[in-house]
Amino acid sequence: MTEQKHVPVKELEDVVIRFAGDSGDGMQLTGSQFTNTAAIVGNDISTFPDYPAEIRAPAGTLGGVSGFQVHLAEHDIWTPGDSPHVLVAMNPAALKVSLPDLEPGAIIIVNTDAFTPGNLKKAGYESNPLEDGSLNQFQVIPVPITTLNRNAVQDVEGLDKKSIDRSKNFFALGLIYWMFDRPLEPSIEWVKKKFGKRAPAVAEANIKALQAGYFYGETAEIFQTRFRIKPAKLPPGTYRKISGSEAAAIGLVTAARKANKPLFYGAYPITPASDILHNLAPLRNFDVITFQAEDEIAAMGATVGAAFAGAMAVTGTSGPGIALKSEAMNLAVMLELPLVVIDVQRGGPSTGLPTKVEQSDLLQIMFGRNGESPMPVLAASSPADCFDTVIEAYRLAVRAMAPVAVMMDGYLANSSEPWRIPDPDTIEPIVIEHPTEPNGPDGKFLPYKRDPVTLGRPWAIPGTPGLEHRVGGLEKSPEYGNVSYAPEHHQRMVNERAAKVARLADIIPEQEVFGPEEAELLVVGWGGTYGAIHAAVSQAQAKGQSVAQVHIRYLNPFPRNLGFILQNYDKILVPELNMGQLAMLLRDRYLVDVISLNKVQGRPFKVSEISAKIDELLAGE
Amino acid sequence: MATEIKLTRKDFMSDQTVRWCPGCGDYAILATVQKTLPRLGIPKEKFVFVSGIGCSSRFPYYMDTYGIHSIHGRAPTLATGIKLSNPDLSVWVITGDGDALSIGGNHILHAGRRNVDLNILLFNNRIYGLTKGQLSPTSPVGTKTKSSPYGSIERPLYPVEVALASGATFVARTIDVLQKEMGEIMYQAALHKGLAFIEIMQNCVIFNNGAWFDYSDRKKRADNDLFLEAGKPMVFGKNRDKGLVLDEEQGGFKVVEIGEEYSIEDITIHDPTSLENAFLLSQLDYPMPLGIIYQVTKPTYCEGMWGQIQQVKAQKGEGDLHDLYFNADTWEVTAEEEEIKAEVRGQVDASLDEAYIDELLGVEAPEADLAEQLASMTLHDLKPKAPITIRPDALMDHALHLMREHGIGALLVVSPDRHLMGIITEADILDRVAGKDIDLHQVTVQEFMTTEPVALPLYASVLEAVHFMTQRRFRHLPVVDENLHPVGVISSRDLAEFLIKHL
Ligand code: SF4
Repeated sequence: MTEQKHVPVKELEDVVIRFAGDSGDGMQLTGSQFTNTAAIVGNDISTFPDYPAEIRAPAGTLGGVSGFQVHLAEHDIWTPGDSPHVLVAMNPAALKVSLPDLEPGAIIIVNTDAFTPGNLKKAGYESNPLEDGSLNQFQVIPVPITTLNRNAVQDVEGLDKKSIDRSKNFFALGLIYWMFDRPLEPSIEWVKKKFGKRAPAVAEANIKALQAGYFYGETAEIFQTRFRIKPAKLPPGTYRKISGSEAAAIGLVTAARKANKPLFYGAYPITPASDILHNLAPLRNFDVITFQAEDEIAAMGATVGAAFAGAMAVTGTSGPGIALKSEAMNLAVMLELPLVVIDVQRGGPSTGLPTKVEQSDLLQIMFGRNGESPMPVLAASSPADCFDTVIEAYRLAVRAMAPVAVMMDGYLANSSEPWRIPDPDTIEPIVIEHPTEPNGPDGKFLPYKRDPVTLGRPWAIPGTPGLEHRVGGLEKSPEYGNVSYAPEHHQRMVNERAAKVARLADIIPEQEVFGPEEAELLVVGWGGTYGAIHAAVSQAQAKGQSVAQVHIRYLNPFPRNLGFILQNYDKILVPELNMGQLAMLLRDRYLVDVISLNKVQGRPFKVSEISAKIDELLAGE
Repeated sequence: MATEIKLTRKDFMSDQTVRWCPGCGDYAILATVQKTLPRLGIPKEKFVFVSGIGCSSRFPYYMDTYGIHSIHGRAPTLATGIKLSNPDLSVWVITGDGDALSIGGNHILHAGRRNVDLNILLFNNRIYGLTKGQLSPTSPVGTKTKSSPYGSIERPLYPVEVALASGATFVARTIDVLQKEMGEIMYQAALHKGLAFIEIMQNCVIFNNGAWFDYSDRKKRADNDLFLEAGKPMVFGKNRDKGLVLDEEQGGFKVVEIGEEYSIEDITIHDPTSLENAFLLSQLDYPMPLGIIYQVTKPTYCEGMWGQIQQVKAQKGEGDLHDLYFNADTWEVTAEEEEIKAEVRGQVDASLDEAYIDELLGVEAPEADLAEQLASMTLHDLKPKAPITIRPDALMDHALHLMREHGIGALLVVSPDRHLMGIITEADILDRVAGKDIDLHQVTVQEFMTTEPVALPLYASVLEAVHFMTQRRFRHLPVVDENLHPVGVISSRDLAEFLIKHL
């Protein structure tokens, strides 16, 4: 019998890897490269870049740590993983920041070259954690990455020491590729494409570094195990990796095409919404007008103007931007113009935690405008779901002739997952009929004469002869739209603006339930927490617990069967990354006693946190 | 086009009653706009009037065109969105001094900087009228109002200066009482490509009556107003006996009498393309320059935006959704592949998935349908014999004894915690012992075993076992559970028997 000698490969169901270093270390790049390769090999992926709040804190300090977490699995996955199995720490600060997230037994690969007294001090370490035994519960793999990388890359001509050291993240990446049995080719191709022409020396250095890292893993004999993630089982189709920002941008372009309109996207730079703008800006050949406004207010104002002129009008921002936009959003409510407002939520209040995730803008979006000002609200539940959600939002907007809000969050926007690419021809057209003939007596055009079914008003656009009309922020008479403060007019217009939003419930799909139709516990969520809740509920069901899940996409109006569903469970748990905002809406609307699970730590839920709450609620039975 | 369209002032009058205070300067401005638009040869449906908040901002309601009465200060933003979305429209912004320069100051700056092709009419009455008389950003120092009872201590902004600073390409000033001149300036503004900004000095009879008296009063204005004409000397006065001369030392215009010291030739010629002169003119209040102060041609924002759209289309072609979706690394998941991936589940080997799959697909011996059958059966079905295991520190003669006793050709070597460490087979022993003088009582299993053998999990397919047996010539394959604890051994003989029985 002949046998090969090798390090055994351990098959894993899933693994969570975190790359952490200085924001200048290229850890985001490293993480996303690894993710790309993972996707090409066919694992399910979910990523969570953790940008440092300070754009450039001094290198080596805790504030400057930048991370990227990847979750790979053979099964469907929904979250970037609770706690990393493998941490790549490029310096002491990166180690310190990540340690609280690790569980005993996790593998830590450290760049020992960076554990200098200076760096240790910057990270606030009194003694070297690699030597003082404080990491005993982990499998620490010390690798002098900087030195090894210098040796590997030194012959590349035309590079100074600094540029050589910059390639050390690729050394780390190569090492991880070896460890996880990944092919190097996709990244080599990427490097060639990215740097090959412009900076051949950089390309060469990065490729050498990548290979050196890989070979180091193979020869150094410091690893007891290699891992392989079994390929994920996904429904047949063609897939690509997509982030929420990309999916939203592509969805908007699709909706514009389906509505046969140019896309107007007015926005002001704000974290974490700017990537939507970045993804749309290059798409001019799709008749995409991106307008980087002078401020949030102008972005919203221009979007209202674009809607009046007949474009598909969209704006995107985050909570602080919504605060500034609310006046012009309210104008859109009053003018009854179709447009989409995307809120990529972040931690608040005020400037809050710009780069961290939270779901605390729900009540702001629902009620944060003066007067009675209802707006339809939708929430995307995963990165790829942003595609469908924005298309759906525009469908509702043109039906009700109203601004529609789409809730995303920083985690959805920046995370990636495989997206089964649809055939664009199979997506339903968005049919819009702009009137061309007067609709009133004596050839008059009545801008607020509503469709009897949808209650939407006619969308006559400038340039149409005979339909000249004025709209404004003042209250108006029904049908004619002339300024009017008459008591009965105001009452009727308020009623009608509310009714047309409520009537959307006639066409939005009924709420689906995952799990039994009656059970002891129903877990209700919305937005980007879908993955964590779904994983927890799936696990609970597998254990035999009596649990079902409802994840609400349509937050205003709620699906017409939601109230009925809520009655079929003894207890209702609502996990939210806020202090209980959906819970408040559900209690108010359905008079049900819901139990909140709240978390505002700038991080997504861990599956285990939800599982623990489920166990706790069911244990009482 | 112009010849076909016959419009009159009446065409632009809406059915709404105009509700400004009697005597308000806004009436004259409205009338002038309604009289000027028919001259432009633009179809009525292409006009859009956008206003903010204030007395003047009621304006769109009185125009029978498309219009929006928007929110305070934001009219330029809506107008920008409208014009960008449909550059074919003639878009007019109606604003006031508070609306444009206080709450909306930022938007005026950026509309100018971008050179959006809009016509902005700023009704400057130096007071807040709608909110009943507070000081405005153009009120002079010392102005006493309800909100400044001791006199304003703020220095005012000069709208023309702000417009020039913002980069507007057409900047003019006019006054409500001079309808003919005002109409001509509006006409020129409408023809201008780019941002046209007109300050209209407007009288608020209620809260700031006479603010512009020096320039509007029939008796005074001849002496105080300077009517600018491009290419003509800047002469003013009832008798046209005064003029402006550029004073290099003072760095501004000075007023001179035409007569002994200065002749008409000395008077500076109005050059509307000179930004320096325009700034100097914007500082004057005696005389008050009226007319087109500055006008140049620069690319407009809409030309830039739609030019890029055309350019990118020329480079990349009309956008195609399919290409957009696929513009990334993609991979296929087919139903077939899924099956194969299911087959390799759990295999404990170092080769890459792809390589392994290729190898697996390349198995020649069994026919296709046979391979399929084998792939659908797992090692479970094969019912592997329970493994006979031995500790690594056991002696070799004990190993031989066990083999003989159980009539088997292989033993699995396991660690104390039941992990598979190696395998020891008849062949191994023969290889090592043949021709050597080795005392099997002296050596341990550890020294003889093959470490880290290929093992298969229970749920691996029979096809995989066939693969290893035929391609890699293994005679024994350990079978492990998910903890890598051995649960069985398959020999080539077992496999042969299974195949004969089942196929
Ligand atoms: S308050 Fe002044 S500006 Fe306003 S309408 Fe009356 S006169 Fe005109």
